[in-house]
Amino acid sequence: MVKEIERTGIPVVHMCTVVPISLTVGANRIVPTIAIPHPLGNPALEKEDEKKLRRKLVEKALKALQTEVDGQRVFED
Amino acid sequence: MRLELGKINIVDVQFGDTTKIESGTLYVNKQKIIDIVMEDEHIKSVEVELAKPGEETRITPVKDVIEPRVKVEGQGEIFPGVMSKVTTVGTGRTHVLKGAAVITCGKIVGFQEGIIDMSGPGSEFTPFSKLNNVCLVIKPVDGLKQHEYEAAVRMAGLKVATFIGKVGKDVQPDEVEVYETKPLLESINEYPNLPKVGYVYMLQTQGLLHDTYVYGVDSKKIVPTILYPTEVMDGAILSGNCVSACDKNTTYHHQNNPIIHDLYERHGKDINFVGIIITNENVYLADKERSSNWTAKLCKYLGLDGAIVSQEGFGNPDTDLIMNCKKIENEGIKTVIVTDEYAGRDGASQSLADADAKADAVVTGGNANEVIILPPMKKIIGMLDYTDKIAGGFDGSLRADGSIEAEIQVITGATNELGFNKLSTIGF
Repeated sequence: MVKEIERTGIPVVHMCTVVPISLTVGANRIVPTIAIPHPLGNPALEKEDEKKLRRKLVEKALKALQTEVDGQRVFED
Repeated sequence: MRLELGKINIVDVQFGDTTKIESGTLYVNKQKIIDIVMEDEHIKSVEVELAKPGEETRITPVKDVIEPRVKVEGQGEIFPGVMSKVTTVGTGRTHVLKGAAVITCGKIVGFQEGIIDMSGPGSEFTPFSKLNNVCLVIKPVDGLKQHEYEAAVRMAGLKVATFIGKVGKDVQPDEVEVYETKPLLESINEYPNLPKVGYVYMLQTQGLLHDTYVYGVDSKKIVPTILYPTEVMDGAILSGNCVSACDKNTTYHHQNNPIIHDLYERHGKDINFVGIIITNENVYLADKERSSNWTAKLCKYLGLDGAIVSQEGFGNPDTDLIMNCKKIENEGIKTVIVTDEYAGRDGASQSLADADAKADAVVTGGNANEVIILPPMKKIIGMLDYTDKIAGGFDGSLRADGSIEAEIQVITGATNELGFNKLSTIGF
């Protein structure tokens, strides 16, 4: 899906936990997430802390979306 | 570590007044089995039924299959850390009721249990159709949570298998095989000219009822470590898995791991089988990285020339498999990976979710997406109400006449990734 959307000219950020698979399938902008059963959250955290974590992930993805890339890039911290 | 495995051939199973073995027939006292299972306050009811090869019987939803075994000599008991103290096992003598099994059934997750047909085309896809099975269909008390139900069914199966196994203690086995692995330095000195081969044994540990236990430890909490192969034969590793039936390792698969047996077969002839590294398949990337780093480190530390790596399950564990393969190869150690495929019903799609050029020696257990039609059976042990939702099934899988059209994914052990079956592919 990532590749097909990009083929139409729209940039895509792939937020995922298993970065190696994302690299294998050919995503260009990759934002690593928390865990496979809960990629965009962490049930072990307090509600407030989890909200901060979620916001940070979304902001990171938006930043990645606006970043020019030349080939594949993983957006670590 | 040296273990004698005494096989008592079981050719039939029947209900009887006492649980015993007589001329190859296993007799089980039904009420005694019910009493053992009903000790657990989480269980509302259990039906005990027998299923034999060739019968027109369908068993579903199958959770686990367990082989009855008993320690005769040497320290510890079968299933250490779970059914007995955490004593290190794998030495002395163990008796096996070869040809018998305990099968646990229940709608735990519903869509992640399997089907075993005792005859017809489906029976060819599962090794358990060849066994004399004591089936436990277990219902939970009202309101019991899924994970508590899983634990209750897991323990019930182990308790019944242990109880049945004990009747083999004083029976003269039909055949005795000896397996021995020496401490590493002694093993290398014994066969200095043979290539040193190890086995990297990946265990399903994704959590959410996808768990495997080692000496009673939930193995998502372990770092990779070393086992003597004979420990596995004494039940050091057991299944707590509710996951796609075709390629999960039941406890029976662990007890009889064919990779271990085949490596022993060639030990001292053309290879030196030095031991097992167990590792896990966790859901955090850092865990995947750490565990694969450690398997590679341990392979190097053991001085291996080659390693067999087997996977359990599919999807994201494909990444654990490829990471293990790549990192072990990067240490200059040759690998062969054992997996299965989800290549679509026509077999034309990419088989694994991850890949690498270093994974150039692959053994497959078959394509789980192949479609099969299972004819109606006269007797159902368990229930059919989840057949449309089972992984590998689809809306309309269960037809009005009782037949089932589904992917072979629904059949317990169909594409087992330890090679405990008949499906594979040969490249030319």
